[in-house]
Amino acid sequence: MTHIKITVFAFIVIAILSVTIVDSCKVPAAILNKSGAQLWGENCNRCHNAPDPKTYSDDQWDAATEHMRQKAILTDLEITKIRDFLKSAN
Amino acid sequence: MKIGKIKSTLIAIGFLFGSNLIFAQTDSTAPAPAPEVTNSPTGGSQKFLLAGKAGITWQSGIPSVNNPALINSFNPISLMLMPLVKLNNRLFLDGQIEVGANPNPGGGAGININELILYYRVTPSLNVFFGNFSPKYGLYLGVLDDFTNRFCSSPVGMARGPQTQTGIGIQGGVQTGYSKINYQLYVSNGPQFQTDSANFGLQTYGNYTDNNKGKSIGGSFGWLPFSNSNLQLDVSGQYTAKSGDITTEFENISSFSWATDLNYYHVFSPVMLRVLAEYNYTQTDKHLVSSGDSVNTPFAYTNFSNQLSGWFVGSTLRASGSESTFLSNLELGARYGSYAPPKNAAWGGDPINQTTFVMTYWFTWKTPLNISYDLYRGAINQDVVTVRTIYFF
Repeated sequence: MTHIKITVFAFIVIAILSVTIVDSCKVPAAILNKSGAQLWGENCNRCHNAPDPKTYSDDQWDAATEHMRQKAILTDLEITKIRDFLKSAN
Repeated sequence: MKIGKIKSTLIAIGFLFGSNLIFAQTDSTAPAPAPEVTNSPTGGSQKFLLAGKAGITWQSGIPSVNNPALINSFNPISLMLMPLVKLNNRLFLDGQIEVGANPNPGGGAGININELILYYRVTPSLNVFFGNFSPKYGLYLGVLDDFTNRFCSSPVGMARGPQTQTGIGIQGGVQTGYSKINYQLYVSNGPQFQTDSANFGLQTYGNYTDNNKGKSIGGSFGWLPFSNSNLQLDVSGQYTAKSGDITTEFENISSFSWATDLNYYHVFSPVMLRVLAEYNYTQTDKHLVSSGDSVNTPFAYTNFSNQLSGWFVGSTLRASGSESTFLSNLELGARYGSYAPPKNAAWGGDPINQTTFVMTYWFTWKTPLNISYDLYRGAINQDVVTVRTIYFF
């Protein structure tokens, strides 16, 4: 069990180090130029159905998307664009 | 000693990581965030949403020792409230409060705080959180729940590891070229080692406060390799050096849980395919007890191997691209899984295998009607039919 624990935690440490290193990777333009609608379809459908923008008001979407930022651990760029899309389409 | 060095290393790495993220890349070509509307002296705007769900369930099955009341029963409405408060541009309060009916004679209701978490966004990819939280562990815990469990019933192989506990942590998502990664790292009060005869050796997570001076450390790492984010692979784990009550002979019993999961979806027009899978494993130190829990009824336990594991794999199909409204809202699913508890534990025994078939009709994107058929075999032999509808608000 000790061997397994050390292995898994070493993996997590290496993963975190990887984040630190690749953190400086330049994000491709194709990713940066994705629209909020596209990100909404791609990310929201992964766990539940993509939400109807008309479900909530602007203020409510502000709160709901913060919840999803944390639950799905989305990137800041993704959740910002998704939030702006939902508020524009409601 | 070795574990102490690992902890110190992790803390050091955490500082290195944190300092890096504070100065994390902000790509010069990334669009600037929209200016926040401010209407308060503190420089942020407060937004509030009371979300939640209400569910109605009907179940039918052959009564068993495990569930003698399972006879064509309507179950009380389940209600969960989720107060979501965006206090300002960085601070967010997230709650999950469950109101449940007491199934025992006499009725009544119970209120349970599933989660109550305060998040503070330090940088775009670093969020600090504190409170009563469900760590990201496996496919469902900390992420998915009734809102996303398309199979109506819970898989027998889940919820056997870290659950809601009080602590502090960090998490965030990072774009890494065409792929993405996300992480979570936390320190918490951890589980409590049970010593009563019916649950001896079980690690539970019901307490809000700690039962000893030790803390648990845990985390998860997720990788989304494709640019359309349709595949997520995760590995998560938690280590607890001390799980028993302080000053007792059980204080230094340690436990380790780890899980790996997969979540995939793709539209093969006009059909959307989903595949979900998870494996989880928990090992608690071997322990031998020779003293009884009371003067009048002493007992002795053999040295059983206290390990448990669970897994499941499932898939659903939905003709989301069909021109027929009915067909486009219909989702069919099948799942198979297993749970293997410690064989010699009072709460353990033989493995339980579960086969689930489910049909879901989505009235709206958040209002499903599920009809599921579960076949439990092994330690439990039972067939259960469940009809459920949930309204999320």
